[in-house]
Amino acid sequence: MIEGILIGVNTAFSGYNILMVMMGCFAGTIIGMLPGLGPMSAIALMIPITYGFDPASAMILMAGVYYGAIFGGSTSSILINAPGVAGTVSSSFDGYPMAQKGQAGKALAIAAYASFSGGTIAALFLLVAAPQLAKVSLSFQSADYFALMCVGLLSIAAFASKGQFLKAMIMTSLGLALATVGQDSLSDITRFAFGNINLMDGISFVLLVMATFAMSEAFMIIFKKMDINFKSSDVSKSSLGSIKLSKSEVKEMVPTIGRSSVLGFLVGVLPGAGATIASFLAWGFERSVASAKEKIKFGKGSIKGLTAPETANNAACTGSFVPLLTLGIPGSGTTAVMLGALLSFGVQPGPRLYVEQPELFWAVIVSMYIGNVVLLVLNLPLIPYIARILAIPKNILVPLVLFFSVTGVYLISFNSFDIYFMAVVAILSLILRVLNYPMPPLILGFILGGMLEKNLRRAIIINDGSFSFMWERPISLALFIIMILIISLQVYQGFKKNNP
Amino acid sequence: MTINYSRISAFVFLLIFLIYSYLAGEIKVFAFDENADFNARTFPKLISYLGIAVSFLTLVLSKNEEENLSQYEWISVLILFVLVFTYGLLIKSIGFFISTNLFLIISYLYLGVRSYKVIIFSSFPVVAGLQFMLHGLLDVYIRDPFLQLLGVIS
Repeated sequence: MIEGILIGVNTAFSGYNILMVMMGCFAGTIIGMLPGLGPMSAIALMIPITYGFDPASAMILMAGVYYGAIFGGSTSSILINAPGVAGTVSSSFDGYPMAQKGQAGKALAIAAYASFSGGTIAALFLLVAAPQLAKVSLSFQSADYFALMCVGLLSIAAFASKGQFLKAMIMTSLGLALATVGQDSLSDITRFAFGNINLMDGISFVLLVMATFAMSEAFMIIFKKMDINFKSSDVSKSSLGSIKLSKSEVKEMVPTIGRSSVLGFLVGVLPGAGATIASFLAWGFERSVASAKEKIKFGKGSIKGLTAPETANNAACTGSFVPLLTLGIPGSGTTAVMLGALLSFGVQPGPRLYVEQPELFWAVIVSMYIGNVVLLVLNLPLIPYIARILAIPKNILVPLVLFFSVTGVYLISFNSFDIYFMAVVAILSLILRVLNYPMPPLILGFILGGMLEKNLRRAIIINDGSFSFMWERPISLALFIIMILIISLQVYQGFKKNNP
Repeated sequence: MTINYSRISAFVFLLIFLIYSYLAGEIKVFAFDENADFNARTFPKLISYLGIAVSFLTLVLSKNEEENLSQYEWISVLILFVLVFTYGLLIKSIGFFISTNLFLIISYLYLGVRSYKVIIFSSFPVVAGLQFMLHGLLDVYIRDPFLQLLGVIS
């Protein structure tokens, strides 16, 4: 393990990869700050840029973009009460009131220190937890992987669907169905291509991600007449106020950071939960443990109320790498996009990654420390300048996002069909989003579809055509019990909602 | 049972998964694979059962959701869609540089940008910069008849 860490440190601290982290954090901050464009869009837009990179550098860049986007989302939450990312919605509860009181600089500093602490503590947890989980998962067989992927799909549908479980399950099914387009990996039989040569190789993952996130987000900005009523003068240094924190304020933050880091990391590790749930839970938890005097301050500019979600969302981002790197199962929509990108590089995340490609495994973990330092050292002093990006009018932003999306897809295949197909998918996903169909389950279904089929096939063939592996293997049985519990919880919640 | 957008969309999905189920049964597999425990049809069939079940449940259990679809900017989005489509048509024939700049300039103008300085600075340098990065730094070749004619790229 020590040798692996040293290889990772060596890789992550190369000048080139440090540049990648810095670029990733910077680009992520800018994109995450723009209301409507979240980390998934930010990472999707980065995929074409990483074509010429080695997998470690690409992954480091994307990880930097991920936590940069979360940090950027906090900035727009605090300054204009328009969260760029769902995971930072709860930051606006106390961040925006602070900004209104003329303490925007202080709020941004709290967000930066809390994000840094949450990310760093969680990276330490990751350092310990990931290798242990990787060792355990080496004993997993096809049946267990199949069950684990089912749990992942089910939980992302349950937790990321904002009460629309059935609609999320439809999207999961659609994602799985789209994954079957093209050649069957074992028999090479072409399925659902309808004689179209462009579909025989299957649907491109980048195309689907770009269409459902980046392009459809751009369409959504126009579609919903979203306006970014923000002037660059609003973030001049003088209007932000001081970014210095007093000793008593730091003292107030410390216990909250400790609690929220643990909570955020644990929630992040769970498949489907992620930064949004972690930040809301942390805010709610801090409020519940606060004294009666402090409780009143929540929602009106409480330091603890801002520290908790900011710490938890960054810790959850780091936590979501645990299932991705050790099991090859993404814990969130964003890590699902990263998994797709890794697969397109020919890297198969999972327990073997830890053994076979330690430079990639450890470099990503080590780069998280670097990323957190970059966010603190580079972004905090630059906030007044970076925040001016919020002043970009939508009529400039939208064509640029469309251009980057189209270019990203065109560069893979140099095929115009992909552009037409992408535009159609983007329009359809726009309509589905308006009708409250969540997109992350679709992407997760699409990415896991191939692996799910492969593992199910193996499990069934090993069991002579029987599904008995579901209850014969203890790991599979435990995972199927978890699935039943998730479904029961959804049924119960639906029943409770209808019969209050 | 009242008709709402959720129910209509669920019904459409139900039809899609029924058709998918039918097509899954029509997948031609090798003769020796026809009666195998798992063949190219098995997984699509399982997905179709899941899709049919959840679409049907959504159709039956959907609540009325107030969604006024007429309040949105449909026309603007459709025009942008047509622009993207046209961009896809032109990118091969007239090349990346001109088609991209045309796409950006027309989109800016359509979305109400009137400052020529802004239009020019947000199109030509951005496209040239990206093309330089791809072609010059990352060795990604993009065929461009216009730039070839000018002798900028080989």
